[in-house]
Amino acid sequence: MRTVVELIVLCSLLLPAAALPAEKGLTVNGVRFFSYPAFTRVVFEVEAAAPYVITKTPDGHGLLFRAYDGRLALKSALPPIRDGIVSGVELREEAGNAYLLVRLDPAAGEAKDFVLRGPDRIVLDISRGSAPAGAAPQADKPLVVVLDPGHGGKDGGITGARGEEKTLALELALQIRKNLRKDQRFTVVLTREKEQALSLDDRAAISNTAGASIFVSIHAAAGAGGRVYIEDLSDDGGGQTAQPPRGDFLGFEAGSEQQAMVWGRQQAAHARESGLLGRRLAQHLAGKEDAEAVQAPLAGLRAVDAAAALIEFGMEQDISRTAEAVAGGIEQYARDDR
Amino acid sequence: MPETTDRSIRDNRLLLGAIIFFIAVASGAGIYLWSRMGGSAESGTPAAEDRLPRMQLIRLTEPLTVTLYYPFDGRLARGEAAVKRQPDTQSQAREAVASLFADQRASAAAALRDVKLRELYVDALGTAYVDLSPSQRKDVKASVEEELLAVYAVVNTLTQNFEEIRQVRILLDGKEAQTLAGHVDLSRPLTKRMDLVKQ
Repeated sequence: MRTVVELIVLCSLLLPAAALPAEKGLTVNGVRFFSYPAFTRVVFEVEAAAPYVITKTPDGHGLLFRAYDGRLALKSALPPIRDGIVSGVELREEAGNAYLLVRLDPAAGEAKDFVLRGPDRIVLDISRGSAPAGAAPQADKPLVVVLDPGHGGKDGGITGARGEEKTLALELALQIRKNLRKDQRFTVVLTREKEQALSLDDRAAISNTAGASIFVSIHAAAGAGGRVYIEDLSDDGGGQTAQPPRGDFLGFEAGSEQQAMVWGRQQAAHARESGLLGRRLAQHLAGKEDAEAVQAPLAGLRAVDAAAALIEFGMEQDISRTAEAVAGGIEQYARDDR
Repeated sequence: MPETTDRSIRDNRLLLGAIIFFIAVASGAGIYLWSRMGGSAESGTPAAEDRLPRMQLIRLTEPLTVTLYYPFDGRLARGEAAVKRQPDTQSQAREAVASLFADQRASAAAALRDVKLRELYVDALGTAYVDLSPSQRKDVKASVEEELLAVYAVVNTLTQNFEEIRQVRILLDGKEAQTLAGHVDLSRPLTKRMDLVKQ
């Protein structure tokens, strides 16, 4: 596969001008980000592959992406990103020439680019380098905790005597945030703070963009008992008989090294941390030292690039006490297990 | 001369004895083979080649006992059910899952009550594709636990009853789906989970 990719890159770069689209310049239909522990992938979805230039800014804190010949046009809004490697992408203009500036964090290392065809994409991988000398130690930085109230919009979840699951989940998330804010170690982000529909991938993307260290998805069930779930990675396409996905949007060969890093596999890198977080949450919710989280194939956790767990509290449980238990579990995990 | 006559008579007797012995051995072997083959057509007993299909036909009319896994008290419970015997694994697996959805013990679970079986296919690699659809025109509502147990009720019923089925993909309305009720990931093939079964 690598040979094929190299060949495509080589061809696209060495194509004579006559073979390129008649209209000069580069039209970018959209930009997407994919955050992984070791690198960040920036994908420029282009109308048609054409020569481009990527250079470093003089201060080394950014990468400039521009068309080799002609104008660069951007057809959609740029999504936000701040994942510790890339701190944002901006459209800028200089002397009538537009270009995209990829702003880099100090932790960013080497960058490499390649082209994929059908649909045409220019891919920029920026690796995580070593932290610069004098950088603040990790321990001093606040931990980002993302709370994800489940369901929302048309999807109300289950309905109990005390209302819809989406409403109760939001109520509990707000209460947990209130409790965690008393501790200055935490920066708390909610995936939704109001009645709002969000896809599972949107929730994971919000968490990854926020640079979360801890992700807790909040759901409710009938009754008074609470349960904690963590992602079960045993069926995650690793088995010999498992059918690999038909090919991701980047066109990687199924089962290849690249395939293993595409969207939806981020949680695999956090199995141990998620197990510890799940155990602490289960212990605090059940009030038992031997309580454990249950492993399950959860669609909402697999793309989360952080220690992640899903709690399902009983609709008959007291919201304030449940919030205290969840916040207690998060605090103990941050204090003892990280 | 008398000596010559005596020798001739003795030779003829030996030849006659050999012929009688040969006929006796041939008859014995013929009777043995005849009895091994199940007798003659005149006796009214069917020939060997006719008998096998008739035996299979008799067996196909007998019900097959399968083990169903259904959600009960926060776990999966085992229960037996008699289903119509089918000639191949795919049809038999379809019969077993249809029986699960029709079973009163399983239909107590919200997620199983709200779906019905559209189709079931088994491919050469041992993956069963179970195509479900909401039984009413509305979304399936279930907690994480209910959804998890409903999904593994189907997976365990198939993988535990049919050794040819190694993993299960669940589709909704003929298409790949992310989840059934918002929680459990259906985008990957699932293998059996016996830790969810009540011991």
